[in-house]
Amino acid sequence: MSGAAAKPRIRSRIIEISVNGERHEISVKPRHTLVEVLRENIGLTGTKDGCEQGVCGACTVLLDGHPTLACITLAVECDGKEVSTVEGLARGQVFSAIQQAFLDQGAVQCGFCTPGMLMSITALLEKNSKPTVPEIKKALEGNLCRCTGYNAIVAAVQQASGQDDVKPVMQ
Amino acid sequence: MIDFDFDHERPGTLAEAAKLLDRHGSGGRIMAGGTDLLPNMRVNILQPTTLISLSEIKAEAPKRDAAGTIRIDALTRLAAIADSALIKKNLPLLAESARVVGSNQIREMGTLGGNLCQETRCLYLNQRHDYQFVAPCFKRGGTCCYPFPQNKPDTCWSVYMSDVAPALIALDAEIETVGKSGVRRIAIVDLFTGSGLTPLSLDHDEIVSAVIVPPQPKDAGFGYHKSARRGGLEFAMAVMAARLRIAADRKTCTDVRIAIGAVRERPVRLLAAERVLAGAALDDASIAAAVTAALEELKPLPHHGFTKSYIVDNVRVYLRRVLKSAGGDKSGGVDLA
Amino acid sequence: MSELNYIGKSFRRKDGPDKVTGRAVYSQDVKLPGTLIGRILRSPHPHARIVRIDTSKAQALPGVKAVITVDDTKGIKHGFVETPRYPPDQEVLARGRVVYVGEEIAADAAIDHMTAQEALDLIEVDYEIQPAVFDPVEAMKPDAPQIHPTHPKAEVPYSNVSGRTSTQWGDVEAGFAESDYVREDRFESHLRTHGYLEPQATIANWENDRLNVWTSSMGAFIKRAKLAKTLDLPYSAVRIHKTYVGGTFGGKIDLYSHEYCAARLSMLTRRPVRIVATREEIFSAYRHGQPLAMEIKTGVKKDGTIVAQQLRIINNSGGYRGSGVVVIFLAWGFTMIPYRIPNLKYEGLSVYTNHTTRAPQRGHGCPQIRFAIESQLDRIAEDLGIDPVTIRLRNAREPWEELPNGDNVHEAGLIDCIKVAAKKSDFLNKYGKGRKATGTIRRGIGMGVSGYFGGSLIYPNGSGVIVKMNDDGTPTVLTGGIDVGQGSETVISQIVAEELAVNIDDVKIISSDTDVTPQDIGAWISGMTYVTGNAARQAAGNARQKMLDLAALRFNADVANLRVKDKVIFNQRDPSQRMTYREIIAYSIATRRGDTIIGEGFWRTMRDTPTHPSLATTKGRWTENYAYSCQVAEVDVDIETGEARLVRALTVHDCGFPINPALVKGQIDGQISMALGHAFLEEVITKDGFTLNPTWLDYRMPTIHEMAASDDADVITEEYVVGKPYRTKEVGEGLVSGILAAIANAVYDATGARLTSTPFTPEKILKATRKIARDARGRQ
Repeated sequence: MSGAAAKPRIRSRIIEISVNGERHEISVKPRHTLVEVLRENIGLTGTKDGCEQGVCGACTVLLDGHPTLACITLAVECDGKEVSTVEGLARGQVFSAIQQAFLDQGAVQCGFCTPGMLMSITALLEKNSKPTVPEIKKALEGNLCRCTGYNAIVAAVQQASGQDDVKPVMQ
Repeated sequence: MIDFDFDHERPGTLAEAAKLLDRHGSGGRIMAGGTDLLPNMRVNILQPTTLISLSEIKAEAPKRDAAGTIRIDALTRLAAIADSALIKKNLPLLAESARVVGSNQIREMGTLGGNLCQETRCLYLNQRHDYQFVAPCFKRGGTCCYPFPQNKPDTCWSVYMSDVAPALIALDAEIETVGKSGVRRIAIVDLFTGSGLTPLSLDHDEIVSAVIVPPQPKDAGFGYHKSARRGGLEFAMAVMAARLRIAADRKTCTDVRIAIGAVRERPVRLLAAERVLAGAALDDASIAAAVTAALEELKPLPHHGFTKSYIVDNVRVYLRRVLKSAGGDKSGGVDLA
Repeated sequence: MSELNYIGKSFRRKDGPDKVTGRAVYSQDVKLPGTLIGRILRSPHPHARIVRIDTSKAQALPGVKAVITVDDTKGIKHGFVETPRYPPDQEVLARGRVVYVGEEIAADAAIDHMTAQEALDLIEVDYEIQPAVFDPVEAMKPDAPQIHPTHPKAEVPYSNVSGRTSTQWGDVEAGFAESDYVREDRFESHLRTHGYLEPQATIANWENDRLNVWTSSMGAFIKRAKLAKTLDLPYSAVRIHKTYVGGTFGGKIDLYSHEYCAARLSMLTRRPVRIVATREEIFSAYRHGQPLAMEIKTGVKKDGTIVAQQLRIINNSGGYRGSGVVVIFLAWGFTMIPYRIPNLKYEGLSVYTNHTTRAPQRGHGCPQIRFAIESQLDRIAEDLGIDPVTIRLRNAREPWEELPNGDNVHEAGLIDCIKVAAKKSDFLNKYGKGRKATGTIRRGIGMGVSGYFGGSLIYPNGSGVIVKMNDDGTPTVLTGGIDVGQGSETVISQIVAEELAVNIDDVKIISSDTDVTPQDIGAWISGMTYVTGNAARQAAGNARQKMLDLAALRFNADVANLRVKDKVIFNQRDPSQRMTYREIIAYSIATRRGDTIIGEGFWRTMRDTPTHPSLATTKGRWTENYAYSCQVAEVDVDIETGEARLVRALTVHDCGFPINPALVKGQIDGQISMALGHAFLEEVITKDGFTLNPTWLDYRMPTIHEMAASDDADVITEEYVVGKPYRTKEVGEGLVSGILAAIANAVYDATGARLTSTPFTPEKILKATRKIARDARGRQ
């Protein structure tokens, strides 16, 4: 793709983003995606890059509370915004209800889809504290998992939201 | 990763954005949610020199005036449309169509205007061409067409796949645009050229600013179905929307609108099918005749691994169910949520 | 028998906390200063001669640190299989020709991704395009383009045959002659791919004359061996570090070109080199599963008992041998495991085509062959007026049967699996209703039986485990076993906790590091729980015994009277005689010249058999661990559109006994999802060797919407006794097969449409149901 036309010299710019409540000032080019910046510049590798195409959902973070695919979000668009990643879910040693429920229900196998799943679910439960199964599926249709077959993930959401008397299956 | 550099500007108003588009010429490109644009940039279908981001511009909430006309800002996120009480109540067809777009994340990021202005798609097009399909196709400015080698350079059969457009056609919606010459309105069907090469009729400096939906006929019924292999995430094999009203005599159809998307270079209003039903009684026979007329008038393109014959078979069944649903029969399982 | 505290209980995953907090480090997450980014140049042609490669312009680009082609390698080949009959056949970079689109030709390493990509564009390659062939039957013809010569020992008059498996017993012709009913059918299973969420990713760092590698794999030791061999380094110079792995399913065993290239580029540049495949590369240039064409002729008595079976399997093997010569052996194995077949004739051919090389994909031939055999068996049953449950019970192997290859099935639970499955699913009451229904949605029920092997011999053949006691009494376990999501670290912790009577939280696992941990068979031969688990058991038992022996000396007591509980050893005859582990370890160090108490254990399948069976003749003992299952599927089909979905799955399996039932359930659910993808949704669409759908938008892997209700039951056939070897059977691969077969049979039950090729698309279902309707009208 090396073109004959003169390439514009695009300068980096400074953006300020807050990640899990911590402010970061970073230098980025417009072409840098949020997932690259989180993983490389800020060093938080919990957010995964599964497809770079905006399909698998492994890169899901919350941008000002909204579930967002970091692989197709430009970092420059996040200037002044608040990003929540999986690293911010626990309070010290205390897991959030959904993290604990994932452990209790066997909803984690290889774990690669897990960060994205947890972020999508965190946003769902913020908006809807007792989602029905169809609502859970709608919220997670953009988070692919190849290991679990999804049943345990649904059970984890139900446990975390105190529904249907779903008890932990793991101790 | 995007492997080329580009500039990025964030104007405060649409008018400013239009000016920037004009100034940057063919190298300038609007970005709203970016859910269509960025994946296309990643595979080098589009290589703008300057992205003009609309993210500083706040979308106004959908509003309904005294006459019942509803105005929806083009920058409204699809999730907000799907969840809007106003839209669910007055335009359930639009709410449903927004609800089935992509995934939850795509709906949270993507906008109404962006969805309508999406690029057409084709399996051969939507890939990086590092080692597959290396010679660019017509749509990429090259000299061939991979899926239809007999096509001439002016013919590209990539399909337009918006889930929302057919619903807006069925609702008689208009598009408002802002450009260097000012504001204009067009019927939604006029947004589309029918050419896979340049699917939209907008001037380069024009930006879709709003969708305006007229008040719907009283007691109108709606039907909608997105045919897809999986229950979510993907684009449609075919997406159908219909509106009709049964007159006071309890049998005659009026205000019939039938539209289908994802099967041609633009969403198609099925006029011949509408004519079959307009003024006729709605029953199994008239519905079947309308579906037959629709399939005769529409020549669906095979796309994304689906054959033409199966698309026809699928549409034949679901269009029937959609029309029945619009007529009040909810048994076909194509109810609006 | 004392009660078990850990075995048989669903303990939470050891690695769970790391995974739910984002702390888990996968290969892509490893950060080393000065890392260069590598990219691979791939062939744009399915078959071509490479006339000229010129990398000079790429090398001259500022920021590019190295560019390599095959001339920069040692020219050492590798292969999935490396035996005298099937020696390694693939170079790490193409030499002189390319045989599939996407084949690796060159690699570069540069300061950043954009520069590495730009450099690829500057590598000049001149090709002379050759005719290509994509269908195996076409490839076998005498005038087909020659991809590689037919294997000299295959002894077949066909082109492009990479290997052949041929075996028989009894006399099939006589068998068919004496059968009351014979049928012949052909089935096809299509091209699908693994779809692991974590991309292929490798970072290699050559430092101080040693190679450090972090790579997404299924076995640290197999990767070390193949990397070391192709780099011509001693194994001790190569360290594969532990990383978390984001799913594999068979697609990460082989040595991949990018792994070699990352290592070689690091050796040349003296900097770490990271290469991560894009999802498009993975879907279009990496290895997919094996599409099989299967011709099966079966003769039965009128009560449905199998008398004779003849099979011919053709594998579309891709451009190199890959695991194609294994899948044609396995297809034989998966044929003969579940049912008695008095007379058999089997031939399997693996055929080169100009496609990507194939890899094992979960089940490695089992889903395909069970789909075929179980579909045909249902057909036979219906033609004879026998129900699907009865015909299976009549043919199912019983416990302690000897198999034709000399193996024994031990406590085979198949008969119980079938009975339990039939009862739990209310099979016979539901079966046959779908076709008589009149609504738009028809429901059908189907059954599928399968058998799988647990552990077999292939390099490195055995697993070792070390349990070293810390002087506070807690154990640290060193195991080469790798957790790819299946939960091996948790299972090993449970075993060690049970054997050593410590709390599971006290057990620290260090795993999958070729410098630190003992050799391990890897997570790709369906034997980790059985083989590595028994090695862990033995190592923990070894440490326990050392402590007990020492305590017996100290107490002057009979070791048979000593017990362990909660890190304490006590004499059950005189409870005042007690020592904590901490005390006994201190005592050991003090009195036995510093013996810190290290337990060692090891295990392999097939104690007395030196090697695996012959891939070509099937002769030789294979495994001592056969797992059985019976699965039932309920599907709904929209008779007007042909759209079908899996509604409910029931899996009844004899895993032996489950060490962690929730982990077993997780494996089952994942396999149900994979099977329904195979059945209805997934297809790698290729045209002339190109992949049309290299994204998850168009490669339709199941989303959460497609999940079906999944119930399971296990038939317990073994037990765990502390201090004794145990037999568990595998659950990670075999359970894709029976459910796929059950789905095929359920579609038939719902619609009367017998589909003989996967996927069961709406188009195929509609076409079949229309033909049925036409034929019915024709008969009126």
